[in-house]
Amino acid sequence: MVLSAITVTLLATLALYVNERGQNVETQEIYGWQVSAFNTLTGADQAIYNSLYTVKDEIPYIYDDINYFNQPGEKFHWPNLQDFQDYLLPPFLMDTSWEQNGSLQWTLFEPLPEGEMQGSTFYRGTDGQLPGQGSFLLVIGHIHAGFTNSNAIVVWWNEANHVEMPENGFRDSLILRGWREVVPYSGSEEVRRIFGE
Amino acid sequence: MISPTHRLFKSFGIVSTLLLMIGGSEASAAGLNVGITLHPYFSFVANIVGDRAEIIPLIDADANPHGYSPQPSDMIRITSMDVLVVNGIGHDSWAFEILDAAGRKDGLTLIYANDGVSLIPIAGDNSGEKIVNPHTFISTTAAIQQVYSIARSLGELDPDNADYYRDNARRYALEIRKLRAEFDQKVTGTDLSRFLAATMHSGYDYILQELGLQVSAVIEPRHGVEPTARQLADTIDRINIAHVNVLFAEKYFASKLSDTIRDATGVRMYSISHISSGPYTPEKFVEEMRENLNTLAQAINDVATDQ
Repeated sequence: MVLSAITVTLLATLALYVNERGQNVETQEIYGWQVSAFNTLTGADQAIYNSLYTVKDEIPYIYDDINYFNQPGEKFHWPNLQDFQDYLLPPFLMDTSWEQNGSLQWTLFEPLPEGEMQGSTFYRGTDGQLPGQGSFLLVIGHIHAGFTNSNAIVVWWNEANHVEMPENGFRDSLILRGWREVVPYSGSEEVRRIFGE
Repeated sequence: MISPTHRLFKSFGIVSTLLLMIGGSEASAAGLNVGITLHPYFSFVANIVGDRAEIIPLIDADANPHGYSPQPSDMIRITSMDVLVVNGIGHDSWAFEILDAAGRKDGLTLIYANDGVSLIPIAGDNSGEKIVNPHTFISTTAAIQQVYSIARSLGELDPDNADYYRDNARRYALEIRKLRAEFDQKVTGTDLSRFLAATMHSGYDYILQELGLQVSAVIEPRHGVEPTARQLADTIDRINIAHVNVLFAEKYFASKLSDTIRDATGVRMYSISHISSGPYTPEKFVEEMRENLNTLAQAINDVATDQ
């Protein structure tokens, strides 16, 4: 009787502990050409990715803003590095936090009207100053140009500190050049783990 | 020539200001009743919905959400909600007990604020495990991601106001980003090379990481649980070996433990708000994050002065 009570108490305490503390995230399934933001990226690279993960939602809004006053026939353009300074947008904003996170050098490559680069916009961040720091590539694919099946914005990471501009934004081509798609461990996945939904 | 500032505030500035003027005279009687579990979510939702929805905190403002025990009054509040915004990943598990007890588990729409947040592990954990850190709201970047996510979900529930919510979310996101700019003005040019921080618990990992400030040690093995004597001795050793010079402790839940560590290591100690106490107000999140960032800037400058 006493043993049963102790066992129940121990199990209840363990359940409360696990519930409050959370569990080790070992179950996230990713492909070999992907990399986990949660399990693999660390420190500055993890911070940079999380900023990119947020701003990818904002870039389309900024695109609308900066092209609003375009004259008829004027070419629409994607936000450049100066636009990101105006919008105070990390990881592009060159402030103290940017320096602390390695001072990645960001470059915008606008889509070309034809050829392999058609329909994709790149933001490349490379040459970070921290030991072991990788490079980033944010790729905006445009469905209207036939680049993808959706207007997807994907973040890629390359363990190389310095990378050249990719020849195109196609997945297989990027993978062959050492790029790996970064996969977040998101709140929705954690909710599924907790509630089993 | 159109200035960047002009362009910046074009669509969501001018248009949403007009929307605000139009909407300012409208009553929220027909709007959603939006429940929230934590103080930051009150501020987020208030800045998104303006006066076009009611906000109903699930628990009293002075209740401590850590280890909270549901009260009968919570059941009454939850019955009047159309939707409930939750953290959902470890900070408001009591909300699900209330849902169950009130029989609304299957009938109430939930917005999981962290659905679109890229989570990070608890820093400074020497166990080798990767434990999810649920303190996403003590941040700027992860907070903005939640604001967008909540605005999008509310817009799906209330399509007539979806554009209004989105524009307000954008304006609020910029307000949060300006906090970072204010912080930067206070630390620009300061040498951060010797700044090494420990924290009493894992609550500040998101904001410290996004600022590029790494955590060398976390004192409490779990939020609100004091370490054993052995764990404490190990942590003090780690602080001394790593030459940690700053300890961040919780503002509202003072602990003698932090005094013990300060005495044993000589670290400077500062208080950071968990944004989980006091009245629910639309301004609370920005006000307390500004205070937190001011504290961080002060700590950085103090360490630099010590050199």
